[in-house]
Formats: sequence, structure tokens, C-alpha cells
Amino acid sequence: MTPTPRRSRNSATIKDFAKAPQRLNAWLFTEMPLARVALLRVAVFAFVVIDVLKLHTSGYFHGAADPVWYKPLVIGEILSLPAATLLMVGLLKWGSVVFALAAMTGKAPRALGWATAICWTWYQYVAFAYGKVDHDRADFVIALFLLPTVGLAHLSDERKSQAAGFALRAVQLAAIATYFLSSIAKIRFGGWEWVNSATMARAVVRRGTWVSDWMLDVPFLLHAAQWGLFSAELLSPVIFFLSERWRRRMVLAWYLFHVATYAAITIAFYPHLVMMLAFLPLEEYRDTAVSRWRRWRAARENQTT
Amino acid sequence: MSSPARTTAAAGTADDAGRLGTGARAWRAVLLVALVAGFLGGSLVGNDHWWPFSPWRMFSTSTSPDASVTVSAIQVQVAGDPTWVNTGLNPENVGLNRAEVEGRQLEIEDDPAMLGTLAEAHARLHPADEEWTGVRLVRRSTVLEDRSPTGETRERVVAEWTASGGGRLVDQ
Repeated sequence: MTPTPRRSRNSATIKDFAKAPQRLNAWLFTEMPLARVALLRVAVFAFVVIDVLKLHTSGYFHGAADPVWYKPLVIGEILSLPAATLLMVGLLKWGSVVFALAAMTGKAPRALGWATAICWTWYQYVAFAYGKVDHDRADFVIALFLLPTVGLAHLSDERKSQAAGFALRAVQLAAIATYFLSSIAKIRFGGWEWVNSATMARAVVRRGTWVSDWMLDVPFLLHAAQWGLFSAELLSPVIFFLSERWRRRMVLAWYLFHVATYAAITIAFYPHLVMMLAFLPLEEYRDTAVSRWRRWRAARENQTT
Repeated sequence: MSSPARTTAAAGTADDAGRLGTGARAWRAVLLVALVAGFLGGSLVGNDHWWPFSPWRMFSTSTSPDASVTVSAIQVQVAGDPTWVNTGLNPENVGLNRAEVEGRQLEIEDDPAMLGTLAEAHARLHPADEEWTGVRLVRRSTVLEDRSPTGETRERVVAEWTASGGGRLVDQ
């Protein structure tokens, strides 16, 4: 090769490198549809209601536990949060429900959004400050506190905004960080031998179902699954460098993984499932669904007349 | 990705309506850096007490292929009946779940009377039920060999509390 093209290639790389901050800036503040934020908010607030009423209720029962079991977390020490009582957990639980339902109307998005965020996060704190922290709920805090920063966003909004883009990016980043950082946690706490350990067998012994119990008799399956999961988690940030089509396929693959996990050990990281919606063009899906339904209804009316 | 028709319908300044000023971008960028630092720090050097920045360590520990898998359970007594009956070690029943009690096993061994607070919590949650006059903690082990259970299980009582006798550590 002649030296000329090589030099130009080098200078192109340097120029690319110099442009990185600009590119990152443009990527973080990409204009995205406000309707997408509005739809994601509905999903997030609906989840809050279902979560405090049905899914994650241990916080409520801690109101009955003796304060001797209370182990304040760092954030509770900083804010001097007291041990729970039945009155306190009642207020947090119903505060979450009332504020989330009000926030679903889309009115006063900041005040109602942050009120919901504070109630729900505090309620989770109560659930976790008695010795056991669930490791699937931290990313949802990001969604609750950042989605209100977008301000007013209507379901029928046709505008795009950088504030919407930033909030959606932040939720995407938090959701993928969950996967990536759980692979880091496996290296840190389980060591590199985690992939060859019996962690999944242990999970199936403790929480197995008819879908998974047979796997204990075929130990290499669970062993291979550990390698697969660990690799997928470690490589999860790749999702940000894929084409839109492959990005959506990857989101689908993660959803399928969570379905399989639920079938095998009845564990689902529900708040995280809501977070992953931030990758999808929710408003386009909604529009497609609505127009299909209209066409179907029109066709049926034509048949009857 | 999205159709070009999805731009604003309003005229004039509406094009700028979606753009953020320098200040609005700056605080968001600073916040993002702080969050990244918090989550990375939590994962690399933090622990559960850092929640929500605690490490994502679900199923992160290694289990030896030939170890035993142990779970805790509680058994209770009611007045006038010396038999110990299995009951649920879950929030609905005693205000705490299994992992929370398992995590405090050393403290329970230091002060077995802590088990008595489970009877109080049960009375708070289920005032209509007969009061518990005794609570004891047992550990059940399932033995694994080469990632499969051998069928062998072991059970031992760790500590007990009774309304009449208080807390005591059961001989190991």
C-alpha cells in the first residue's frame, strides 16, 4: 500500500476520536417522540399500582415486624429514616397507588411523578431495610425519577424533544446496566468459576417447577445455560451499537430469557421488564394496533350492512 | 425508524420547542455521570447497603457442585399443646421472609429470644389466630452430588423461644 491512503485513514480516525464527545452529546440528546414517553409513563405508573398491591408486598409486612429487625441502609442513615410501622407502610403503599393513578392522567407530570417516585422508592426501602435487598429494583428508581423531567407529554403528542430523548436513553442505559453489572457481580462475588459452579442447580433445587426439575437430571444443560447467560450479560452493552432491527430482536431475546427464567424458577424481574420497553417505538406499535382494529371494525360493519 | 410525518404540526418556534438549552443539558449530563459513578462504584466496591446503588448480585454466588442446599424454616407451639407445628416463614405470616431471617442467624444464635418477636408480629398481622407460645428455627439441608440432589435431607433445630422459658440455643 502507498503511504498516502494510510495517512488519510489515520487522520480520519483521529478526527473521529475528536468528534466523540459531540457524538455522545448528540446520542444522549437525540430528539425522541413525546408520545413514547407518555406511553412509557402509563406503563411505569400502572406497574407501580400493580406492584405495591400485588407483586412486592414484603414492605407492608415489615410494618408489623419488631424494630429489632430493622437494618438501616446507607440512604436511610443519611436521611435518618425510622423503622417501619403499620401506619407508615400504609401511607407509603396507598400514597404510591393514589399518586400513580393521578400521574397516569398526564396532568402535573413533575409533581405527581416525583410524588409517586418518592412513595414507591421509600416503600422499597422499607422492604429492603430488614436484611434482604432484592437486586432487580434499583433501575426502576431511575425511570420513576427521570421520566417526570420531560414535563408535559400527551399520548397523542406528535412532537419530539431532546428531554424525551434523554429520559428514554437514561432508562435504556439503566436497564442494560442491570445485565452488564450483574455479570460484574458474578465475577466479583462468585469468581470466574461462577460459570462452572452449581448456581443454577441450587436455584432449581430451591425454587424449581415442573418445567425445570427434570434439568437436575441433565446437569450439563444448566451448566451450559450458565455460560450462555454470563456471556449475554457481559456483552449486553452491544445493544447500543446494533441496527434498529437487531436492537429490537435483542430486546425480544431478553424478554424470552425472562419468560424462560419464570417458567424454570418462578422468578421475574418485573420492574426491569417495564424498563426494557424504553427501547421500543411504543407509539408506532400503538398506532398500528389502533389502525388494524379500525380496519377490522370497518370490515365487520361492511359485512353486516 | 419513525416516519417523517411525525414532526411538529405547529409553526414558527415549535421547531425549537423540543431542544434543550445549555443549562438543561448540563444538569442532565452531570446527573448521568453521577448515576454512572454510583452504579459502577456500587458494583465494584459497594454492598447491599448501598441500595439503590448496590451490586446486582442475584444468583451471583458460586455453589459447589457437591455441597448441600440449606433452607431455614420455623415451627411453632400454641398454649397447652407441646407439639411443634410447621408454619410459613414468610412476610404474610411473621412480617419477615426466609432470607431476612437466614441473614440474621448469628444474631439469633446470640439472642434466641429474637424469635419471640415473630410471635408478636404474627399476632399483629393475624389478631384472630391463636397466640404462639413457642417459636423455633430449624435448618433443612438437601445434599447435592455433581449438581444433582442425592435424595438425602437433614434437619436440625438451631434455636427456640417459648413464652414460659424465653430463648435458648439448642445443642448443636
